[in-house]
Amino acid sequence: MANRTDPAAKSIRGTNPQNLVEKIVRSKIYQNTYWKEQCFGLTAETLVDKAMELDHIGGTYGGTRRPTPFICLILKMLQIQPEKDIVVEFIKNDDYKYVRVLGAFYLRLTGTDIDVYRYLEPLYNDYRKLRMKSADGKFILTHVDEVIDELLTKDYACDIALPRVKKRWTLESHGILEPRKSVLEDDFEEEEEKEENEQMDAVENGVNDEKDYHHGRSPTRERDRDRRRDSHRYRDRDYDRDYDRDRGRGRDRDRDRDRDRDRDRDRDRYRLRDEKDYSRDRDRDREREGRDRERRDRDRGGGRRRSPSRSRSRSRDRKRRRSPSPRRDGGEEAKKKEKKKSEKKEKKDDGTDHPDPEIAEANRIRASLGLKPLK
Amino acid sequence: MLEVVLNDRLGKKVRVKCNEDDTIGDLKKLVAAQTGTKAEKIRIQKWYTIYKDHITLADYEIHDGMGLELYYN
Repeated sequence: MANRTDPAAKSIRGTNPQNLVEKIVRSKIYQNTYWKEQCFGLTAETLVDKAMELDHIGGTYGGTRRPTPFICLILKMLQIQPEKDIVVEFIKNDDYKYVRVLGAFYLRLTGTDIDVYRYLEPLYNDYRKLRMKSADGKFILTHVDEVIDELLTKDYACDIALPRVKKRWTLESHGILEPRKSVLEDDFEEEEEKEENEQMDAVENGVNDEKDYHHGRSPTRERDRDRRRDSHRYRDRDYDRDYDRDRGRGRDRDRDRDRDRDRDRDRDRYRLRDEKDYSRDRDRDREREGRDRERRDRDRGGGRRRSPSRSRSRSRDRKRRRSPSPRRDGGEEAKKKEKKKSEKKEKKDDGTDHPDPEIAEANRIRASLGLKPLK
Repeated sequence: MLEVVLNDRLGKKVRVKCNEDDTIGDLKKLVAAQTGTKAEKIRIQKWYTIYKDHITLADYEIHDGMGLELYYN
């Protein structure tokens, strides 16, 4: 009786809502004393009281996989199916962070994609600490926004498999959602503007000022910048055309710069999550733009001196590309030796090129899991 | 290097190659890679002894060819 779902409850994702929790975990919850004592005959109102008493989140823990009160309450919510307004109230409330996370988790399990993104993303700004019980029974420190990030990106949390939601950019491309505005965006913009202004000044004021500009900084930064500048100067050889066009674009109008920056940043943000969903053209464009932006940021007047010092830079680059230690020996031999050493090391390290194919396969799996190869 | 056989008596029988100094947790990851279940869901037992995650196979005296029972959490 106590474990039956409310007959008036709707079915979620085509099945009894309690089936969102797997059979084994569900049985463990039913046998748990917290469930039997506290969760008997709970309604939406009394559920709030129980939720306020929560002091940690988590799934199952210990050798016998005991459930936490958090996960018992989740199953209770699935059983009674509170209204959407109540769940949104849980999420919006600011005082009790565990109630918030409980509401967010329930919405992630039962809500539509749009609701999930709309209600969970504001919680990214909440960075309060949470106590989480790990699988071995110890408590771990985590934060509200970390938990929300897990809910939105991973597909397994607190021993419950999270249902699939559409990727954010799919909804954006349909116009259902707007692109995400992060609260930190203003801070980023300020920093970027500062950097760009400095860089623009350096380029426009000419070579002399650049020297002063470099002297003003700490020596390590100067070295880094020089190294970076030189290291990609030989790249300029390949990307001449792009670079010229880019320089013009970068210096022309502030508005364009801002627009490019925003576009790049937005795209960069989604690149990690949604790469496979983008079509290949957009990938290429975005990569090119990302590279252009990099070059714009890093190229501090190096392009100006590009033509006259080109031959010099080329020879300098060739020297620099060689490994630093055996420079005295005279180049070729040392290079060959290093290559051999690195090849040998690779063979031993991974073990994936073992002659026996079975062992090689096993070693490949082990490497992907982060284990050492077989002995 | 040894090979352990895990059987869940419901149709899943899997042979896993591993080192003696691997822990049970590593063994669970390898089994998960082969069977497709999640590593946290797997429980390895021998009769009523549930094997703990942080102890190595050598300490449990698991030798080559030994059979273990596969259960789920």
